[in-house]
Amino acid sequence: MLKQIEGSRAVAEAVALCRPEVICAYPISPQTHIVEALGEMCRTGALPGCEFINVESEFAAMSVAIGASAAGARSYTATASQGLLFMAEAVFNASGLGLPIVMTVANRAIGAPINIWNDHSDSMSMRDCGWIQLFAETNQEALDLHIQAFRLAEELSLPVMVCMDGFILTHAVERVDMPSLEQVRAFLPPYVPRQVLDPAEPVSIGAMVGPEAFMEVRYLAHAKQIQALGLIPEFAADFRKTFGRDSGGLVRAYRCDDAETIVVALGSVVGTIQDVVDEMREGGVKIGVLAIKSFRPFPLVEVREILQHARRVVVLEKTLAVGIGGVMSMNVRMALTQVALKGYTVIAGLGGRPITKASLHRLFADAHADRLEHLTFLDLDRKVVERVLDRERETRRSGPIAENILRDLGVVAARI
Amino acid sequence: MDKPFAITLDVGSSLANHTGSWRTQRPVYLDRIPPCNSTCPAGENIQGWLYHAESGDYEAAWRVLVEDNPLPAIMGRVCYHPCEGACNRAQVDEAVGINSVERFLGDEALKQGWKLTPPAAESGKRVLIVGAGPSGLSAAYHLRRLGHQVRIVEAGPYAGGMMRFGIPAYRLPRAVLDAEVQRILDLGVQLELNTKVSDIRRTMQEGGYDAAFLAVGAHIAKRAYIPAGAAAHMVDAVSLLRSMEGEEKPMLGRRVVIYGGGNTAIDAARTAKRLGASEAIIVYRRTREKMPAHDFEVAEAMEEGIMIKWLSTIKRMGEGTITVEKMALDDKGFPQPTGEYESLEADSLVLALGQDVDLSLLDGVPGLEKKDGVVQVATNMMTGYPGIFAGGDMVPSERTVTVAVGHGKKAARNIDAWLGGKQYAPAPKHEAATFDLINQWYYADAPKTVRPQLDLVRRQTTFEEVVAGLDVTNALFEARRCLSCGNCFECDNCYGVCPDNAVIKLGRGNRFKFNYDYCKGCGICVSECPCGAIKMVPEPS
Repeated sequence: MLKQIEGSRAVAEAVALCRPEVICAYPISPQTHIVEALGEMCRTGALPGCEFINVESEFAAMSVAIGASAAGARSYTATASQGLLFMAEAVFNASGLGLPIVMTVANRAIGAPINIWNDHSDSMSMRDCGWIQLFAETNQEALDLHIQAFRLAEELSLPVMVCMDGFILTHAVERVDMPSLEQVRAFLPPYVPRQVLDPAEPVSIGAMVGPEAFMEVRYLAHAKQIQALGLIPEFAADFRKTFGRDSGGLVRAYRCDDAETIVVALGSVVGTIQDVVDEMREGGVKIGVLAIKSFRPFPLVEVREILQHARRVVVLEKTLAVGIGGVMSMNVRMALTQVALKGYTVIAGLGGRPITKASLHRLFADAHADRLEHLTFLDLDRKVVERVLDRERETRRSGPIAENILRDLGVVAARI
Repeated sequence: MDKPFAITLDVGSSLANHTGSWRTQRPVYLDRIPPCNSTCPAGENIQGWLYHAESGDYEAAWRVLVEDNPLPAIMGRVCYHPCEGACNRAQVDEAVGINSVERFLGDEALKQGWKLTPPAAESGKRVLIVGAGPSGLSAAYHLRRLGHQVRIVEAGPYAGGMMRFGIPAYRLPRAVLDAEVQRILDLGVQLELNTKVSDIRRTMQEGGYDAAFLAVGAHIAKRAYIPAGAAAHMVDAVSLLRSMEGEEKPMLGRRVVIYGGGNTAIDAARTAKRLGASEAIIVYRRTREKMPAHDFEVAEAMEEGIMIKWLSTIKRMGEGTITVEKMALDDKGFPQPTGEYESLEADSLVLALGQDVDLSLLDGVPGLEKKDGVVQVATNMMTGYPGIFAGGDMVPSERTVTVAVGHGKKAARNIDAWLGGKQYAPAPKHEAATFDLINQWYYADAPKTVRPQLDLVRRQTTFEEVVAGLDVTNALFEARRCLSCGNCFECDNCYGVCPDNAVIKLGRGNRFKFNYDYCKGCGICVSECPCGAIKMVPEPS
């Protein structure tokens, strides 16, 4: 059914159609609307058979999800930013224990300075936590990915993180096609836990394991993720059969076949890049874009197949690996082992800075002409950073950077 | 079951790791003495009986109560309940209504006809008790339960002492008093009325007593010299209150002045009002803050229209008039005369200036020390003469029914030890359960249940009981407001919060113990215990 609704609402309704049995959540922007809507559905009876638990922190949210999932309940939670960091220890435990929890991460920057807007620093901080990480381009895909996520998680007994850009997707009201409960049931079988807890036959889960077995446990987790590389396209194809549209998968290439320049990106920014690609193609520039849908497991083979025919690759990321550059570009580099092509890393949109078509046009034109530096910060205000660097060269203790920058810009947050 | 490799393990795989060895301090369960118990002059185990009342087992509650005090229905009416003043709950919302629950239990016992437990065996010893007031009755009860033969000799015509002749019926209905006295006599305590002991040693010798407990009370009204005309009508409060027990009700007239500031003055004024006085005025030489009468009694009296003239002394009494001198407090807080006089119209003057003890029965007993009109006793309540013990108003202490009952119990235990040639050693006092040990978060708000009071007009005109009791439903609620300060009530908190599963549940009524093999000494149980029944101690080296 077509609906004109907010992205958060769309995700909430899709999660509800998956009939989770336990939802535990702690509010944090920009994820809050999702769990608020789910809480309301539990209260009104629109989501039957589900226990909604208000927990005292994100750490508790994930801990409760672990307990619920181990006890055999289909479990869901959502978080963002500092919330994801606060639950970090439990996030690793969930995957270590192989519990098929689904969690939405409404991507948001990480402080300090505190910033509530979108980038990918939060999910990327957890990239090696053992969870499957899927990234949505649109609200439609965000809701579709949640349905696939439950199936994938429960098939593999691994937790799945569905990442969607905070505000850009979560708070945007747009048209989505909401599936029916029957469709979801046809696609998503009931949850059968890989082990059922039985008070008559007690076990101990997650107790200490020494060097004699720990490495094997880790290897098995990796093997599971490699299995997911096969299952993700399979489920995406099955999804297409049931719901009649493409959603998810490992990667999506757009106009890459004859492209000399291929831009690699994650999440909602792909849409903007696609428009720029179309416009540049009209000008005869052979450019394409490759959207990574599954960041973990990372589809090394698929990425390599698409990129190896190009002359250059521009990895545009909404995260900065401070001290080296890009996170995704390192992964792409891994995929391109022994493939010789030019590689550029572009850091863009940190802390919610808009990524405009005008900037992308300039950026891609420079890339196509190989005028880019190896590492570029899109729309960085050079004057501001140079002033700060100068000031710090002159005065060893020159005061708080963020405040100084705001003063330089004339946007004074706090008058000192 | 095919278990996930190295994730799902057999039970107990972590038990090899004795985390208890990391501990530098350990939690221990303990019982602390709650402020109510530690304040009670009668030494009642208040929290102990509230515990049973909380589960609605009123008979068990009453049985714990009468271990210490055989007069709960009386106590629930006349005790000034210092327990409530000390109650930790007062710092949360309001003190637990201990006094009202006690009265409920006392009344319930009378209604249901619960009997006191008779002694298991006879000791063959005989103890004489002089005076059938609260102290004597309490001692008689405790001595009888210890198996001794007890005989109370009372000079007055009824048992009860000051509870009958000093406390007005509107505070203590006589049926309640009679019933609780009778229940003690039913244990086999003998009571001889209208017999004044004039020579204690002779009475003991003639009756073959092994020990005696003297509790003759303070019945002699103190007098003050007030010049008065021949027609002036002056009476003392003790006589006034005593005469209320006789056939003939005293005649006081329409305007009554009461001189004094203690509880007896208040009782006399309220009695005068009920006898038909249109004006009852208390004259007191100091201020309300300095008044020895209890504040709630002053408040009740003022509600009933009793007037109080503060900072005033009476200089003389003429026919129908009293001359009063105004006083002023000096810098030390003592009242000093000002030389300013005024007159009050009065048909009679009641003197309520305190009471003395008639110590004549002790004349000629060697070794006694008398000071300030009372007999000195050692910590075991024994006078300077071996075998003669004393308590209540005739020894130095506060003069209340509750203190008297406490003296009776203490004396009984010491007499019992003395008869057996031993020294009574009270159990060592536990640490105090102070308010800072209470984890308030765990207790819900619950305001105190207020006992209904008699309509004001009826209070002024009749001797009906002013304050009514609780009933089954609200007594239970009130009992459940108890925080159980310092004593485990098996809430399972420690059991639930222990991160090492090192708290072992011993089953209902048996509390918990720690498994020190695994307790790391984190102390979470201590900080999350609602009532302060666990403490950390250094690990024994």
